Amino acid sequence: MNLPIPYADPMPLPAPVWLLRTLLLLTFFLHVLFMNCLLGGTAIALVCTMRRKSSAFSARLAGDIGRLLPSVFAFTITLGVAPLLFLQVMYGQFLYASSILIGVPWLAIIGMVVLAYYGVYFFSMNLATTKGNEQKGRTTVALTLVVLLLASIAFIYSNNFTLMLAPERWLDLYHSHTSGWNLNWSEPSLLPRYLHFVLGALAVAGLGLVVMGLRQQEDAYREWLIEQGSLLFTGTTLLNVGVGFWFLVTLYGPARLAFVGGNGFATALLGIGMLLPLAAVAHLIMAKANKSPKRQLVIGIGCGLLTVAVMIVMRDVLRNLALAPNFNLNHLPVAPQWGIILLFVILFVAGLATLYYMLRKVAIATRIQVAAAKNP
Amino acid sequence: MNYPVWQLGFPGGLLIAAVAVLHVFISHFAVGGGAYLVLTERRAYARNDSELLGYVRHHSKFFVLLTVVLGAVTGVGIWFTIGLVSPEATSSLIHTFVWGWAIEWVFFFVEIAAALIYAYHWDTLDRQTHLIVGWIYFVAAWASLVVINGIITYMLTPGRWLETRRFWDGFFNPTYWPSLWIRTAMAVGLAGMFGLVTAMRESFALRERVVRWAGWWLLLGIASLLPLGRWYFHDFPSYSRAYFGGMYPDVRHALLGAVVCAEVALILALVCGLLRPKLMNPLVVTVLLVAGIGVMGAGEYLREFSRYPYVINSYIYANDIRVEKVAGIVANGVAKTSPWAGESADGQHTYGRELFAMECGSCHSVAGYRAMRKFTRGWDGKFASEMLLHLPVVRETMPPFAGDARDRAALGSYLASLAPARPSGANEKEIGQQVFAIRCAMCHTVGGHRRPLDLKGTDPEAIAVMLGTLGDISSDMPSFTGTDAEGHALAVYLSNPSSSH
Repeated sequence: MNLPIPYADPMPLPAPVWLLRTLLLLTFFLHVLFMNCLLGGTAIALVCTMRRKSSAFSARLAGDIGRLLPSVFAFTITLGVAPLLFLQVMYGQFLYASSILIGVPWLAIIGMVVLAYYGVYFFSMNLATTKGNEQKGRTTVALTLVVLLLASIAFIYSNNFTLMLAPERWLDLYHSHTSGWNLNWSEPSLLPRYLHFVLGALAVAGLGLVVMGLRQQEDAYREWLIEQGSLLFTGTTLLNVGVGFWFLVTLYGPARLAFVGGNGFATALLGIGMLLPLAAVAHLIMAKANKSPKRQLVIGIGCGLLTVAVMIVMRDVLRNLALAPNFNLNHLPVAPQWGIILLFVILFVAGLATLYYMLRKVAIATRIQVAAAKNP
Repeated sequence: MNYPVWQLGFPGGLLIAAVAVLHVFISHFAVGGGAYLVLTERRAYARNDSELLGYVRHHSKFFVLLTVVLGAVTGVGIWFTIGLVSPEATSSLIHTFVWGWAIEWVFFFVEIAAALIYAYHWDTLDRQTHLIVGWIYFVAAWASLVVINGIITYMLTPGRWLETRRFWDGFFNPTYWPSLWIRTAMAVGLAGMFGLVTAMRESFALRERVVRWAGWWLLLGIASLLPLGRWYFHDFPSYSRAYFGGMYPDVRHALLGAVVCAEVALILALVCGLLRPKLMNPLVVTVLLVAGIGVMGAGEYLREFSRYPYVINSYIYANDIRVEKVAGIVANGVAKTSPWAGESADGQHTYGRELFAMECGSCHSVAGYRAMRKFTRGWDGKFASEMLLHLPVVRETMPPFAGDARDRAALGSYLASLAPARPSGANEKEIGQQVFAIRCAMCHTVGGHRRPLDLKGTDPEAIAVMLGTLGDISSDMPSFTGTDAEGHALAVYLSNPSSSH
């Protein structure tokens, strides 16, 4: 059967594949961390808001998360732009085609992001202006809406990123709705993939709670945060092992085989990807019994973050395996624009330095302020 | 053609325009507003004006809510939209300028971080550092304009890039500088305009001070538009400068709209901003905002229109077909070229409709915006398929039709089906006038400026004979495919058009 795969752009890739791929994976990793904190964080904030009458710590946590969410949202978007750019330059012929086929939901993402973003600000600002519970109803509704919007956005992304790998389904979808009212429902791995990533987001947000706990001065709240975070991470991760297996068995045959012995690298990744989260869980549990648990918590968090990194590489391997019958990234012509790449690197470093300068100034100023408040 | 076509029922270009106008309106404010924030803050310190400082603090929160959320997300929205409507062109832009975008992304990142720190750390940072963060914001925001301006202007005037394919040749193209300064001027004007928005909630005395201050920004920005606009226009491609000669009503209206909106803004800035600040009220501010969107929208529309028939000048046509691919599609036909053309599963009509979506749908709708029904009223299939051979002659803004004789027949019959009509009238001359409207008026006028047909006094019989040999007169003319009676009526009309209105 002739697949309707568009020809690749006649212009050569403006950088070697390894560089584009590294940047894609690196920026995507950072995006995922923020996105997970956003999705998981709003879900946690919602639960805390609903429980805030019965639990003082819940009320406090809702406030702490609320203050962070607008910035987390901003950086989720900013860090999402870069991987989308690098993805387009390498896989554009697949991504544009699948995006058009689900054009309506795909573009709806923009409106949904705007709504969710303002919802987060609404929540955050209500926390600042009202100490009591009079706004509880409204903030709960707003947060519920935000969680639903974010979960839906994630679902649309899962649809597009699975559909771009399945050109054999494109023509049918195109002829059924040329107006772009499609989703990739017939993809067997769609639901497990989506669930796997959403549960992963909750797990990472759990780690975020542990990090917040580690930065807390007050003992009781600190312990509560670490406990809640560890519980969330452990619960969702154990659940995710099962969902992960479900995801694996629904994968397209050759890709599945590659992960279970067919391809050494893919199999090793899967092995590491299963051991790391278990190691993370083990450290978080051991930390609970430990009097000075910081070291173990940090190792647990480290294993958790490494898991995310390994999962992202696996996701990339899966993409290339799925496209392999029709596409090989390494066959695309390359003509690196080294001069501009160098300029990018210089500006990138300068940008990081500027960011560091600003954050350091804020950190120092905040520390002085806190100290002044303690010793008036 | 290479990609599936997103068939919305209206031209995809309209969708791009809607998202883009909203975005540019906010994003230019995001650039100029940065300078406005810092300079207003400095002014408040210098004059020890705590009320003015309170105003800037409040303005900074409004600024973040508008620019960091709606401004930034609609920017991503343009990217999503152009990828859906013009994937071929988007892919090309990304391949040419991926590192430009990567650099813009660095500025974007710094910009967002600085904006959030500026707006939320008034009480944390000392004055000096807070001002520095503000300046970092402004420099990063303007730098992102500096980068994106290179990519936008490249689409209109790729300059030497067409031969060299070198990044910098495309980036610093013939309209780069005038466009950069005109956008910077717009950013300054919009900073003042939005400064007025938040000023409306201040107490009366403070409001007057802010209105005068913001009024200067507005005046400076808007007043610079005229000379900068002339400079910009001067560097337009010569073919598109001709579009401004009055031939295209769309261009005339947009130009008029831009000028009127700019004048309204200028007068209001002068009168209600500087001379009588007391007169500035929410209604006037609303009028100013509408005028601002008007200037911005019309300006972007004119820039986009000037690009026609291309989306990237001389490289990719507005319907997302590469210039270099057209000859191949004409030779082999669309069905053999595009994997998305369903080879007439249910007859020629369906295939024709698909071709319409592929080749015409990015600019035309059937019955709405730039409705084809209006243009093809009364056409027959043969005439339509011949017209498709001459599109760039019919309108300089149109890409050539990419397809073989079979494709032309299919699209022609689809076009002819949109608004079937037979010429009718009380007498032969009236019928002739209608035949003229259907078959000739796309290119010719009687007694007008555009390709005038002056056959007054010619024997109608001679004209009727001439109608049978149009292809010999000019290879750009379709044959006359009407009935003999229609031909005769047309000849009667052309031989004596004046008494008919």
